[in-house]
Amino acid sequence: MPNIGRSFHNLWTVFKHEFSVYFISPIIYWIGAGWLCLAGVFYSNSLGFYNQGTYEVSMSSLFSPMAFLTIFIAPALTMRLLAEEVHAGTHELLFTAPVRDWEVVVGKWLASWAVMSSFILVTFLHAGLLIWRGSPNIAVMITGYIGLWLVCGATLAIGVFASSLSQYQLVSFMISMGTLVLLWVAGAVSSLISNSLLSEAINQLTITNHYHNTMLNLGLVDPIDVAYFVGVMALFLFLATQILGTRRWRA
Amino acid sequence: MIQVEGLTKYYGPHKAIDSLSFHADAGEIVGFLGPNGAGKTTTMRILTGYMPPSEGRATIAGFDVFEQSLEARGRIGYLPETVPLYKELTVWQYVDYMAALRGMGNPGRAERVDEVLDRVGMLDRADSLIDSLSKGMRQRVGLAQAIVHKPDVLILDEPTIGLDPRQVREVRELIREVGEHRTVLLSTHILSEVSQLCSRILIINNGQIVAEDSPATLSNRLQDTTRYFLHIGNATPKEVAKAIRGVAGVSEVYPTEEGVEIVADSQIDPRPAVTATIVQKSWDLLELRHVDMSLEDIFLQLTTDEAVAEEED
Ligand SMILES: Nc1ncnc2c1ncn2[C@@H]1O[C@H](COP(=O)(O)OP(=O)(O)O)[C@@H](O)[C@H]1O
Ligand SMILES: [Mg+2]
Repeated sequence: MPNIGRSFHNLWTVFKHEFSVYFISPIIYWIGAGWLCLAGVFYSNSLGFYNQGTYEVSMSSLFSPMAFLTIFIAPALTMRLLAEEVHAGTHELLFTAPVRDWEVVVGKWLASWAVMSSFILVTFLHAGLLIWRGSPNIAVMITGYIGLWLVCGATLAIGVFASSLSQYQLVSFMISMGTLVLLWVAGAVSSLISNSLLSEAINQLTITNHYHNTMLNLGLVDPIDVAYFVGVMALFLFLATQILGTRRWRA
Repeated sequence: MIQVEGLTKYYGPHKAIDSLSFHADAGEIVGFLGPNGAGKTTTMRILTGYMPPSEGRATIAGFDVFEQSLEARGRIGYLPETVPLYKELTVWQYVDYMAALRGMGNPGRAERVDEVLDRVGMLDRADSLIDSLSKGMRQRVGLAQAIVHKPDVLILDEPTIGLDPRQVREVRELIREVGEHRTVLLSTHILSEVSQLCSRILIINNGQIVAEDSPATLSNRLQDTTRYFLHIGNATPKEVAKAIRGVAGVSEVYPTEEGVEIVADSQIDPRPAVTATIVQKSWDLLELRHVDMSLEDIFLQLTTDEAVAEEED
Protein backbone atom coordinates (compact mmCIF):
# COMPACT_ATOMS: atom_id res chain seq x y z
CA MET A 1 0.00 0.00 0.00
CA PRO A 2 2.73 2.56 0.76
CA ASN A 3 3.70 2.19 -2.92
CA ILE A 4 0.31 3.46 -4.01
CA GLY A 5 0.54 6.36 -1.59
CA ARG A 6 3.96 7.23 -2.94
CA SER A 7 2.85 7.04 -6.56
CA PHE A 8 -0.07 9.28 -5.74
CA HIS A 9 2.25 11.78 -4.06
CA ASN A 10 4.60 11.74 -7.06
CA LEU A 11 1.80 12.07 -9.62
CA TRP A 12 0.29 14.94 -7.68
CA THR A 13 3.67 16.68 -7.34
CA VAL A 14 4.44 16.48 -11.06
CA PHE A 15 0.86 17.38 -11.98
CA LYS A 16 0.74 20.43 -9.74
CA HIS A 17 4.09 21.70 -10.96
CA GLU A 18 3.26 21.29 -14.63
CA PHE A 19 -0.24 22.69 -14.31
CA SER A 20 1.01 25.88 -12.67
CA VAL A 21 3.90 26.23 -15.14
CA TYR A 22 1.33 26.28 -17.99
CA PHE A 23 -0.14 29.49 -16.66
CA ILE A 24 3.15 31.33 -16.13
CA SER A 25 3.36 32.22 -19.80
CA PRO A 26 0.53 34.28 -21.35
CA ILE A 27 0.78 32.15 -24.50
CA ILE A 28 -1.53 29.62 -22.88
CA TYR A 29 -4.40 32.12 -22.93
CA TRP A 30 -3.81 32.74 -26.63
CA ILE A 31 -3.90 29.00 -27.32
CA GLY A 32 -7.13 28.62 -25.35
CA ALA A 33 -8.73 31.66 -26.89
CA GLY A 34 -7.65 30.59 -30.37
CA TRP A 35 -9.14 27.13 -29.91
CA LEU A 36 -12.48 28.39 -28.62
CA CYS A 37 -12.83 31.34 -30.99
CA LEU A 38 -11.96 29.41 -34.12
CA ALA A 39 -14.39 26.66 -33.19
CA GLY A 40 -16.87 29.37 -32.20
CA VAL A 41 -16.75 30.82 -35.72
CA PHE A 42 -17.90 27.48 -37.16
CA TYR A 43 -20.49 27.24 -34.42
CA SER A 44 -22.05 30.65 -34.97
CA ASN A 45 -22.14 30.03 -38.72
CA SER A 46 -24.18 26.94 -38.05
CA LEU A 47 -26.40 28.81 -35.62
CA GLY A 48 -27.37 30.92 -38.60
CA PHE A 49 -28.77 27.79 -40.20
CA TYR A 50 -30.71 26.94 -37.06
CA ASN A 51 -32.34 30.31 -37.14
CA GLN A 52 -33.58 29.50 -40.63
CA GLY A 53 -35.07 26.37 -39.13
CA THR A 54 -32.91 24.03 -41.21
CA TYR A 55 -31.43 22.00 -38.34
CA GLU A 56 -32.20 20.96 -34.85
CA VAL A 57 -30.40 23.12 -32.26
CA SER A 58 -27.29 21.26 -31.05
CA MET A 59 -23.76 21.82 -29.82
CA SER A 60 -22.33 19.24 -32.20
CA SER A 61 -21.31 22.01 -34.53
CA LEU A 62 -19.12 23.46 -31.76
CA PHE A 63 -17.71 20.11 -30.58
CA SER A 64 -16.89 18.97 -34.08
CA PRO A 65 -14.47 21.82 -34.94
CA MET A 66 -13.09 21.72 -31.40
CA ALA A 67 -12.26 18.05 -31.83
CA PHE A 68 -10.73 18.72 -35.23
CA LEU A 69 -8.58 21.58 -33.92
CA THR A 70 -6.94 19.27 -31.36
CA ILE A 71 -4.67 18.46 -34.31
CA PHE A 72 -2.91 21.74 -33.49
CA ILE A 73 -3.87 22.38 -29.88
CA ALA A 74 -2.72 19.07 -28.41
CA PRO A 75 0.77 19.26 -29.98
CA ALA A 76 1.10 22.90 -28.86
CA LEU A 77 0.21 22.01 -25.27
CA THR A 78 2.43 18.94 -25.03
CA MET A 79 5.53 19.70 -27.12
CA ARG A 80 7.33 21.28 -24.18
CA LEU A 81 6.57 18.66 -21.55
CA LEU A 82 9.45 16.20 -21.94
CA ALA A 83 11.51 17.79 -24.73
CA GLU A 84 12.29 20.93 -22.75
CA GLU A 85 13.44 18.98 -19.68
CA VAL A 86 16.11 17.34 -21.80
CA HIS A 87 16.94 20.55 -23.65
CA ALA A 88 17.37 22.55 -20.42
CA GLY A 89 19.12 19.70 -18.59
CA THR A 90 16.55 19.63 -15.80
CA HIS A 91 15.82 15.98 -16.59
CA GLU A 92 19.06 15.13 -14.80
CA LEU A 93 17.42 16.00 -11.48
CA LEU A 94 13.95 14.78 -12.44
CA PHE A 95 15.21 11.34 -13.42
CA THR A 96 17.52 11.00 -10.43
CA ALA A 97 14.72 11.84 -8.00
CA PRO A 98 12.98 8.83 -6.44
CA VAL A 99 10.18 9.05 -9.00
CA ARG A 100 9.27 6.43 -11.59
CA ASP A 101 9.38 7.32 -15.27
CA TRP A 102 5.67 6.51 -15.72
CA GLU A 103 4.74 8.82 -12.85
CA VAL A 104 6.51 11.68 -14.62
CA VAL A 105 4.84 10.87 -17.94
CA VAL A 106 1.35 10.46 -16.53
CA GLY A 107 1.64 13.46 -14.20
CA LYS A 108 2.61 15.70 -17.10
CA TRP A 109 -0.10 14.30 -19.35
CA LEU A 110 -2.75 14.80 -16.67
CA ALA A 111 -1.65 18.42 -16.32
CA SER A 112 -2.10 19.04 -20.05
CA TRP A 113 -5.48 17.31 -19.94
CA ALA A 114 -6.54 19.46 -17.01
CA VAL A 115 -5.59 22.59 -18.94
CA MET A 116 -7.60 21.49 -21.96
CA SER A 117 -10.50 20.54 -19.69
CA SER A 118 -10.51 24.01 -18.21
CA PHE A 119 -10.84 25.43 -21.72
CA ILE A 120 -13.76 23.07 -22.32
CA LEU A 121 -15.36 24.39 -19.14
CA VAL A 122 -15.66 27.77 -20.82
CA THR A 123 -18.07 26.26 -23.37
CA PHE A 124 -20.50 25.53 -20.53
CA LEU A 125 -21.53 29.13 -21.20
CA HIS A 126 -22.77 28.12 -24.65
CA ALA A 127 -24.44 25.07 -23.21
CA GLY A 128 -26.21 27.16 -20.58
CA LEU A 129 -27.33 29.61 -23.21
CA LEU A 130 -28.67 26.85 -25.43
CA ILE A 131 -30.58 25.23 -22.60
CA TRP A 132 -31.98 28.59 -21.53
CA ARG A 133 -33.02 29.83 -24.99
CA GLY A 134 -33.65 26.59 -26.90
CA SER A 135 -34.53 23.00 -26.30
CA PRO A 136 -31.42 20.98 -27.12
CA ASN A 137 -31.18 17.22 -26.71
CA ILE A 138 -29.46 17.04 -23.32
CA ALA A 139 -28.33 13.43 -23.77
CA VAL A 140 -26.53 14.25 -27.02
CA MET A 141 -24.98 17.27 -25.36
CA ILE A 142 -23.62 15.19 -22.49
CA THR A 143 -22.22 12.43 -24.68
CA GLY A 144 -20.79 15.12 -26.94
CA TYR A 145 -18.90 16.53 -23.96
CA ILE A 146 -17.71 13.12 -22.81
CA GLY A 147 -16.49 12.29 -26.29
CA LEU A 148 -14.69 15.62 -26.75
CA TRP A 149 -13.00 15.15 -23.42
CA LEU A 150 -11.83 11.66 -24.42
CA VAL A 151 -10.60 12.98 -27.78
CA CYS A 152 -8.52 15.55 -25.90
CA GLY A 153 -7.04 12.95 -23.55
CA ALA A 154 -6.08 10.69 -26.43
CA THR A 155 -4.57 13.39 -28.63
CA LEU A 156 -2.61 14.78 -25.66
CA ALA A 157 -1.20 11.31 -24.95
CA ILE A 158 0.05 11.23 -28.53
CA GLY A 159 1.60 14.66 -27.96
CA VAL A 160 3.35 13.52 -24.77
CA PHE A 161 4.76 10.56 -26.66
CA ALA A 162 6.06 12.86 -29.41
CA SER A 163 7.64 15.08 -26.75
CA SER A 164 9.65 12.11 -25.47
CA LEU A 165 11.20 11.55 -28.89
CA SER A 166 13.19 14.76 -29.26
CA GLN A 167 14.72 17.49 -27.17
CA TYR A 168 13.45 20.06 -29.66
CA GLN A 169 9.90 21.33 -29.14
CA LEU A 170 9.38 22.06 -32.83
CA VAL A 171 10.32 18.50 -33.78
CA SER A 172 7.94 17.01 -31.24
CA PHE A 173 5.19 19.39 -32.43
CA MET A 174 5.63 18.21 -36.02
CA ILE A 175 5.64 14.54 -35.02
CA SER A 176 2.45 14.74 -32.99
CA MET A 177 0.66 16.93 -35.52
CA GLY A 178 1.62 14.52 -38.30
CA THR A 179 0.35 11.55 -36.33
CA LEU A 180 -2.93 13.29 -35.55
CA VAL A 181 -3.48 14.34 -39.18
CA LEU A 182 -3.00 10.70 -40.18
CA LEU A 183 -5.58 9.58 -37.63
CA TRP A 184 -8.10 12.04 -39.07
CA VAL A 185 -7.54 11.52 -42.78
CA ALA A 186 -7.36 7.73 -42.47
CA GLY A 187 -11.15 7.71 -42.53
CA ALA A 188 -11.24 9.55 -45.84
CA VAL A 189 -8.65 7.16 -47.27
CA SER A 190 -10.50 4.10 -46.05
CA SER A 191 -13.61 5.04 -48.01
CA LEU A 192 -11.52 4.90 -51.20
CA ILE A 193 -10.24 1.38 -50.55
CA SER A 194 -12.24 -1.33 -52.28
CA ASN A 195 -11.13 -4.16 -49.97
CA SER A 196 -13.89 -3.89 -47.40
CA LEU A 197 -12.01 -5.69 -44.63
CA LEU A 198 -8.98 -3.40 -44.88
CA SER A 199 -11.15 -0.34 -45.26
CA GLU A 200 -13.09 -1.25 -42.13
CA ALA A 201 -9.87 -1.93 -40.19
CA ILE A 202 -8.50 1.52 -41.08
CA ASN A 203 -11.83 3.09 -40.27
CA GLN A 204 -11.73 1.53 -36.81
CA LEU A 205 -8.47 3.41 -36.13
CA THR A 206 -9.87 6.86 -36.82
CA ILE A 207 -11.08 9.36 -34.28
CA THR A 208 -14.11 10.31 -36.38
CA ASN A 209 -15.39 6.75 -36.39
CA HIS A 210 -15.33 6.59 -32.59
CA TYR A 211 -16.57 10.09 -31.87
CA HIS A 212 -18.67 11.59 -34.65
CA ASN A 213 -20.62 8.48 -35.55
CA THR A 214 -21.76 7.79 -31.99
CA MET A 215 -21.15 10.16 -29.09
CA LEU A 216 -21.17 13.40 -31.06
CA ASN A 217 -24.30 12.95 -33.14
CA LEU A 218 -26.32 10.07 -31.72
CA GLY A 219 -26.02 10.46 -27.96
CA LEU A 220 -24.64 6.93 -27.76
CA VAL A 221 -21.78 5.84 -25.50
CA ASP A 222 -20.49 2.61 -26.98
CA PRO A 223 -18.01 0.80 -24.69
CA ILE A 224 -15.94 0.04 -27.80
CA ASP A 225 -15.48 3.75 -28.47
CA VAL A 226 -14.47 4.42 -24.87
CA ALA A 227 -12.07 1.48 -25.06
CA TYR A 228 -10.59 2.97 -28.23
CA PHE A 229 -9.78 6.30 -26.56
CA VAL A 230 -8.55 4.74 -23.33
CA GLY A 231 -6.46 2.36 -25.42
CA VAL A 232 -4.85 5.20 -27.36
CA MET A 233 -4.02 6.98 -24.10
CA ALA A 234 -2.56 3.88 -22.48
CA LEU A 235 -0.58 2.89 -25.58
CA PHE A 236 1.10 6.24 -26.14
CA LEU A 237 1.80 6.91 -22.46
CA PHE A 238 3.34 3.46 -22.25
CA LEU A 239 5.46 4.14 -25.32
CA ALA A 240 6.61 7.50 -23.91
CA THR A 241 7.66 5.76 -20.68
CA GLN A 242 9.58 3.16 -22.69
CA ILE A 243 11.35 5.87 -24.69
CA LEU A 244 12.50 7.56 -21.47
CA GLY A 245 13.84 4.22 -20.29
CA THR A 246 15.81 3.54 -23.45
CA ARG A 247 17.18 7.09 -23.34
CA ARG A 248 18.83 6.15 -20.09
CA TRP A 249 20.38 3.12 -21.70
CA ARG A 250 21.70 5.11 -24.60
CA ALA A 251 22.90 8.03 -22.47
CA MET B 1 27.86 4.45 2.62
CA ILE B 2 28.96 4.49 -1.02
CA GLN B 3 30.37 1.21 -2.30
CA VAL B 4 31.60 0.86 -5.87
CA GLU B 5 32.93 -2.36 -7.36
CA GLY B 6 34.34 -2.81 -10.83
CA LEU B 7 32.24 -0.05 -12.34
CA THR B 8 32.70 0.23 -16.11
CA LYS B 9 30.87 2.39 -18.62
CA TYR B 10 31.09 2.32 -22.39
CA TYR B 11 29.75 5.08 -24.61
CA GLY B 12 29.50 3.08 -27.79
CA PRO B 13 32.99 1.62 -28.20
CA HIS B 14 34.54 4.30 -25.99
CA LYS B 15 35.35 3.21 -22.46
CA ALA B 16 34.67 6.24 -20.24
CA ILE B 17 35.37 4.52 -16.93
CA ASP B 18 37.28 1.33 -16.46
CA SER B 19 36.45 -1.01 -13.55
CA LEU B 20 36.44 1.64 -10.84
CA SER B 21 36.34 0.43 -7.25
CA PHE B 22 36.18 2.67 -4.23
CA HIS B 23 34.11 3.40 -1.17
CA ALA B 24 33.12 6.30 0.99
CA ASP B 25 32.23 5.76 4.63
CA ALA B 26 29.54 7.53 6.61
CA GLY B 27 30.52 11.09 7.47
CA GLU B 28 33.43 11.25 5.07
CA ILE B 29 34.05 13.97 2.49
CA VAL B 30 35.72 12.22 -0.40
CA GLY B 31 37.27 14.20 -3.23
CA PHE B 32 37.18 12.96 -6.77
CA LEU B 33 40.10 14.68 -8.47
CA GLY B 34 40.78 14.44 -12.17
CA PRO B 35 41.14 16.47 -15.37
CA ASN B 36 38.33 17.02 -17.87
CA GLY B 37 37.23 13.79 -19.49
CA ALA B 38 38.57 11.64 -16.66
CA GLY B 39 35.17 10.08 -16.03
CA LYS B 40 34.02 11.95 -12.93
CA THR B 41 30.62 12.97 -14.27
CA THR B 42 30.03 9.53 -15.75
CA THR B 43 30.70 7.87 -12.38
CA MET B 44 28.40 10.29 -10.57
CA ARG B 45 25.61 9.80 -13.11
CA ILE B 46 25.74 6.07 -12.49
CA LEU B 47 25.73 6.54 -8.71
CA THR B 48 22.69 8.82 -8.89
CA GLY B 49 20.72 6.37 -11.04
CA TYR B 50 20.72 8.63 -14.09
CA MET B 51 22.11 5.85 -16.22
CA PRO B 52 23.09 2.24 -15.67
CA PRO B 53 26.69 0.99 -15.72
CA SER B 54 27.91 -1.33 -18.48
CA GLU B 55 29.55 -3.59 -15.90
CA GLY B 56 30.09 -3.68 -12.17
CA ARG B 57 27.86 -2.50 -9.38
CA ALA B 58 27.44 0.33 -6.92
CA THR B 59 25.44 0.63 -3.73
CA ILE B 60 24.24 3.63 -1.73
CA ALA B 61 23.52 2.86 1.92
CA GLY B 62 23.37 -0.80 0.93
CA PHE B 63 20.91 -0.29 -1.95
CA ASP B 64 22.01 -1.21 -5.44
CA VAL B 65 21.80 1.91 -7.59
CA PHE B 66 20.37 -0.09 -10.47
CA GLU B 67 18.38 -2.95 -8.90
CA GLN B 68 16.92 -0.88 -6.05
CA SER B 69 17.15 2.43 -7.81
CA LEU B 70 14.28 4.21 -6.05
CA GLU B 71 15.56 3.41 -2.55
CA ALA B 72 19.08 4.47 -3.51
CA ARG B 73 17.92 7.66 -5.26
CA GLY B 74 15.85 8.66 -2.24
CA ARG B 75 19.00 8.78 -0.12
CA ILE B 76 21.02 10.98 -2.47
CA GLY B 77 21.24 14.72 -2.90
CA TYR B 78 22.73 15.54 -6.28
CA LEU B 79 24.17 18.72 -7.72
CA PRO B 80 24.99 18.10 -11.40
CA GLU B 81 27.84 19.86 -13.19
CA THR B 82 25.58 22.48 -14.80
CA VAL B 83 22.97 23.23 -12.17
CA PRO B 84 19.61 22.26 -13.68
CA LEU B 85 17.13 25.00 -12.80
CA TYR B 86 13.60 25.80 -13.88
CA LYS B 87 14.25 29.41 -14.79
CA GLU B 88 10.57 30.38 -14.84
CA LEU B 89 10.11 29.44 -11.17
CA THR B 90 11.01 31.43 -8.09
CA VAL B 91 13.76 30.17 -5.82
CA TRP B 92 11.21 29.04 -3.26
CA GLN B 93 8.98 27.25 -5.79
CA TYR B 94 11.98 25.45 -7.24
CA VAL B 95 13.33 24.13 -3.96
CA ASP B 96 9.81 23.20 -2.86
CA TYR B 97 9.25 21.22 -6.08
CA MET B 98 12.56 19.40 -5.66
CA ALA B 99 11.70 18.58 -2.05
CA ALA B 100 8.32 17.20 -3.11
CA LEU B 101 9.92 15.12 -5.87
CA ARG B 102 12.20 13.63 -3.24
CA GLY B 103 9.10 12.46 -1.39
CA MET B 104 8.69 15.20 1.20
CA GLY B 105 5.10 16.03 2.06
CA ASN B 106 3.36 18.80 3.90
CA PRO B 107 3.20 19.64 6.75
CA GLY B 108 6.89 20.20 7.30
CA ARG B 109 8.06 20.76 3.75
CA ALA B 110 7.43 24.50 3.61
CA GLU B 111 9.31 25.05 6.89
CA ARG B 112 12.18 22.91 5.65
CA VAL B 113 12.41 24.92 2.40
CA ASP B 114 12.65 28.14 4.43
CA GLU B 115 15.24 26.59 6.71
CA VAL B 116 17.42 25.37 3.87
CA LEU B 117 17.22 28.67 1.97
CA ASP B 118 18.28 30.40 5.16
CA ARG B 119 21.17 27.96 5.46
CA VAL B 120 22.52 28.81 2.01
CA GLY B 121 21.84 32.51 2.51
CA MET B 122 19.10 32.78 -0.10
CA LEU B 123 16.05 33.34 2.10
CA ASP B 124 15.90 37.03 1.21
CA ARG B 125 15.79 36.06 -2.48
CA ALA B 126 13.16 33.33 -2.00
CA ASP B 127 10.63 35.10 -4.24
CA SER B 128 13.09 36.08 -6.97
CA LEU B 129 12.86 34.37 -10.32
CA ILE B 130 15.76 31.97 -10.80
CA ASP B 131 16.38 33.56 -14.18
CA SER B 132 17.44 36.77 -12.41
CA LEU B 133 20.11 35.17 -10.18
CA SER B 134 23.88 35.42 -10.51
CA LYS B 135 25.97 32.31 -11.05
CA GLY B 136 27.05 32.14 -7.43
CA MET B 137 23.45 32.41 -6.24
CA ARG B 138 22.36 29.68 -8.63
CA GLN B 139 25.04 27.43 -7.22
CA ARG B 140 23.71 28.08 -3.73
CA VAL B 141 20.16 27.32 -4.85
CA GLY B 142 21.55 24.14 -6.41
CA LEU B 143 23.07 23.19 -3.08
CA ALA B 144 19.80 23.98 -1.32
CA GLN B 145 17.86 21.53 -3.52
CA ALA B 146 20.54 18.90 -2.94
CA ILE B 147 20.24 19.00 0.86
CA VAL B 148 16.57 19.90 1.31
CA HIS B 149 15.43 16.32 1.91
CA LYS B 150 18.28 15.62 4.38
CA PRO B 151 19.97 12.95 2.27
CA ASP B 152 22.56 10.57 3.71
CA VAL B 153 24.75 11.01 0.66
CA LEU B 154 25.62 14.19 -1.18
CA ILE B 155 27.04 14.00 -4.70
CA LEU B 156 28.45 17.28 -5.99
CA ASP B 157 29.84 17.50 -9.51
CA GLU B 158 32.39 20.35 -9.77
CA PRO B 159 30.40 22.60 -7.42
CA THR B 160 32.76 25.59 -7.68
CA ILE B 161 33.35 25.62 -11.43
CA GLY B 162 32.84 29.00 -13.08
CA LEU B 163 32.55 30.98 -9.83
CA ASP B 164 34.65 33.97 -8.87
CA PRO B 165 37.12 33.57 -5.97
CA ARG B 166 34.79 35.04 -3.34
CA GLN B 167 31.91 32.82 -4.42
CA VAL B 168 34.25 29.81 -4.48
CA ARG B 169 35.16 30.50 -0.86
CA GLU B 170 31.51 30.83 0.13
CA VAL B 171 30.46 27.65 -1.61
CA ARG B 172 33.37 25.69 -0.11
CA GLU B 173 32.42 26.93 3.32
CA LEU B 174 28.86 25.80 2.71
CA ILE B 175 29.96 22.37 1.55
CA ARG B 176 32.07 21.99 4.67
CA GLU B 177 29.03 22.88 6.80
CA VAL B 178 26.50 20.67 5.08
CA GLY B 179 29.04 17.86 4.84
CA GLU B 180 29.47 17.66 8.56
CA HIS B 181 26.92 14.96 9.14
CA ARG B 182 26.75 13.19 5.83
CA THR B 183 28.80 11.41 3.25
CA VAL B 184 29.93 13.69 0.47
CA LEU B 185 31.45 12.77 -2.87
CA LEU B 186 32.81 15.87 -4.52
CA SER B 187 34.44 16.11 -7.92
CA THR B 188 36.87 18.79 -9.00
CA HIS B 189 39.91 19.36 -11.13
CA ILE B 190 41.48 21.72 -8.60
CA LEU B 191 44.00 20.17 -6.23
CA SER B 192 43.76 22.83 -3.55
CA GLU B 193 39.99 22.38 -3.36
CA VAL B 194 40.17 18.74 -2.35
CA SER B 195 43.08 19.34 0.02
CA GLN B 196 41.01 21.92 1.86
CA LEU B 197 37.73 20.06 2.03
CA CYS B 198 38.27 16.34 1.87
CA SER B 199 39.36 13.68 4.27
CA ARG B 200 40.29 11.39 1.42
CA ILE B 201 41.20 11.96 -2.20
CA LEU B 202 40.61 9.68 -5.17
CA ILE B 203 42.65 10.67 -8.17
CA ILE B 204 41.11 9.57 -11.45
CA ASN B 205 42.56 9.77 -14.92
CA ASN B 206 41.36 8.19 -18.17
CA GLY B 207 38.61 6.38 -16.31
CA GLN B 208 40.92 4.73 -13.80
CA ILE B 209 41.81 5.48 -10.22
CA VAL B 210 45.45 6.47 -10.18
CA ALA B 211 45.86 7.06 -6.46
CA GLU B 212 43.86 7.10 -3.27
CA ASP B 213 45.16 8.92 -0.21
CA SER B 214 44.55 11.42 2.53
CA PRO B 215 45.46 15.01 1.59
CA ALA B 216 48.41 14.92 4.01
CA THR B 217 50.00 11.76 2.61
CA LEU B 218 49.35 12.95 -0.89
CA SER B 219 51.11 16.25 -0.37
CA ASN B 220 54.01 14.39 1.28
CA ARG B 221 54.38 12.27 -1.79
CA LEU B 222 54.26 15.36 -3.96
CA GLN B 223 56.66 17.43 -1.88
CA ASP B 224 59.69 15.97 -3.55
CA THR B 225 59.01 18.13 -6.53
CA THR B 226 58.54 21.69 -5.44
CA ARG B 227 59.21 23.84 -8.47
CA TYR B 228 60.24 27.46 -8.91
CA PHE B 229 60.27 29.74 -11.87
CA LEU B 230 63.12 32.18 -12.24
CA HIS B 231 63.23 35.16 -14.61
CA ILE B 232 66.44 37.17 -15.08
CA GLY B 233 66.54 40.41 -17.03
CA ASN B 234 70.08 40.62 -18.38
CA ALA B 235 71.10 37.02 -19.01
CA THR B 236 69.79 34.27 -21.28
CA PRO B 237 68.01 31.33 -19.69
CA LYS B 238 70.87 29.08 -20.79
CA GLU B 239 73.50 31.18 -18.97
CA VAL B 240 71.32 31.29 -15.85
CA ALA B 241 70.74 27.57 -15.94
CA LYS B 242 74.47 26.95 -16.20
CA ALA B 243 75.22 29.23 -13.26
CA ILE B 244 72.71 27.80 -10.78
CA ARG B 245 73.08 24.14 -11.66
CA GLY B 246 74.58 22.47 -8.61
CA VAL B 247 73.71 25.30 -6.20
CA ALA B 248 72.53 24.12 -2.77
CA GLY B 249 68.92 22.87 -2.84
CA VAL B 250 68.64 22.73 -6.63
CA SER B 251 68.22 19.27 -8.01
CA GLU B 252 67.30 19.98 -11.63
CA VAL B 253 67.28 23.03 -13.91
CA TYR B 254 65.40 23.48 -17.17
CA PRO B 255 65.88 26.58 -19.32
CA THR B 256 62.59 27.57 -21.02
CA GLU B 257 61.62 30.36 -23.45
CA GLU B 258 61.05 33.00 -20.80
CA GLY B 259 63.22 31.89 -17.93
CA VAL B 260 64.42 28.93 -15.94
CA GLU B 261 62.46 26.25 -14.15
CA ILE B 262 64.04 24.88 -11.00
CA VAL B 263 63.12 21.59 -9.44
CA ALA B 264 63.97 21.83 -5.78
CA ASP B 265 65.53 19.27 -3.52
CA SER B 266 63.04 17.97 -0.96
CA GLN B 267 65.32 18.83 2.00
CA ILE B 268 66.74 22.28 1.30
CA ASP B 269 64.98 25.43 0.09
CA PRO B 270 67.02 26.51 -2.96
CA ARG B 271 65.91 30.13 -2.94
CA PRO B 272 68.62 31.65 -0.66
CA ALA B 273 71.50 30.09 -2.57
CA VAL B 274 69.92 30.91 -5.93
CA THR B 275 69.44 34.59 -5.08
CA ALA B 276 72.98 34.77 -3.68
CA THR B 277 74.31 33.47 -7.00
CA ILE B 278 72.28 36.01 -8.93
CA VAL B 279 73.50 38.89 -6.78
CA GLN B 280 77.07 37.71 -7.16
CA LYS B 281 76.68 37.77 -10.97
CA SER B 282 75.03 41.22 -10.76
CA TRP B 283 72.02 39.97 -12.73
CA ASP B 284 68.63 41.64 -12.50
CA LEU B 285 66.19 39.39 -10.66
CA LEU B 286 62.77 40.05 -12.17
CA GLU B 287 60.84 37.10 -10.81
CA LEU B 288 61.28 34.09 -8.54
CA ARG B 289 58.07 32.30 -7.79
CA HIS B 290 56.68 28.98 -6.72
CA VAL B 291 55.07 26.98 -9.54
CA ASP B 292 51.89 25.08 -8.69
CA MET B 293 51.94 21.56 -9.93
CA SER B 294 49.48 21.00 -12.70
CA LEU B 295 47.25 17.96 -12.55
CA GLU B 296 49.27 16.53 -15.42
CA ASP B 297 52.46 16.81 -13.36
CA ILE B 298 50.73 15.11 -10.46
CA PHE B 299 49.56 12.22 -12.61
CA LEU B 300 52.94 11.88 -14.18
CA GLN B 301 54.56 11.72 -10.81
CA LEU B 302 52.04 9.48 -9.13
CA THR B 303 51.98 7.03 -12.00
CA THR B 304 55.76 6.88 -12.26
CA ASP B 305 55.94 6.48 -8.45
CA GLU B 306 53.59 3.58 -8.70
CA ALA B 307 55.51 2.03 -11.57
CA VAL B 308 58.76 2.35 -9.66
CA ALA B 309 57.18 0.87 -6.54
CA GLU B 310 55.91 -2.07 -8.56
CA GLU B 311 59.33 -2.68 -10.05
CA GLU B 312 60.90 -2.66 -6.60
CA ASP B 313 58.39 -5.22 -5.28
N1 LIG C 1 27.05 11.19 -23.44
C1 LIG C 1 28.29 10.85 -23.84
N2 LIG C 1 28.48 10.21 -25.02
C2 LIG C 1 29.71 9.85 -25.42
N3 LIG C 1 30.84 10.07 -24.74
C3 LIG C 1 30.74 10.70 -23.55
C4 LIG C 1 29.47 11.12 -23.05
N4 LIG C 1 29.66 11.71 -21.84
C5 LIG C 1 30.99 11.68 -21.62
N5 LIG C 1 31.65 11.06 -22.64
C6 LIG C 1 33.12 10.79 -22.70
O1 LIG C 1 33.45 10.02 -21.57
C7 LIG C 1 34.66 10.46 -20.99
C8 LIG C 1 34.44 10.85 -19.54
O2 LIG C 1 33.63 12.01 -19.50
P1 LIG C 1 33.12 12.66 -18.14
O3 LIG C 1 32.60 11.58 -17.27
O4 LIG C 1 32.19 13.75 -18.50
O5 LIG C 1 34.47 13.23 -17.54
P2 LIG C 1 34.70 14.39 -16.45
O6 LIG C 1 33.41 14.65 -15.75
O7 LIG C 1 35.74 13.83 -15.54
O8 LIG C 1 35.17 15.58 -17.20
C9 LIG C 1 35.16 11.58 -21.87
O9 LIG C 1 36.10 11.05 -22.77
C10 LIG C 1 33.93 12.06 -22.58
O10 LIG C 1 34.25 12.57 -23.85
MG1 LIG D 1 32.45 16.41 -15.60
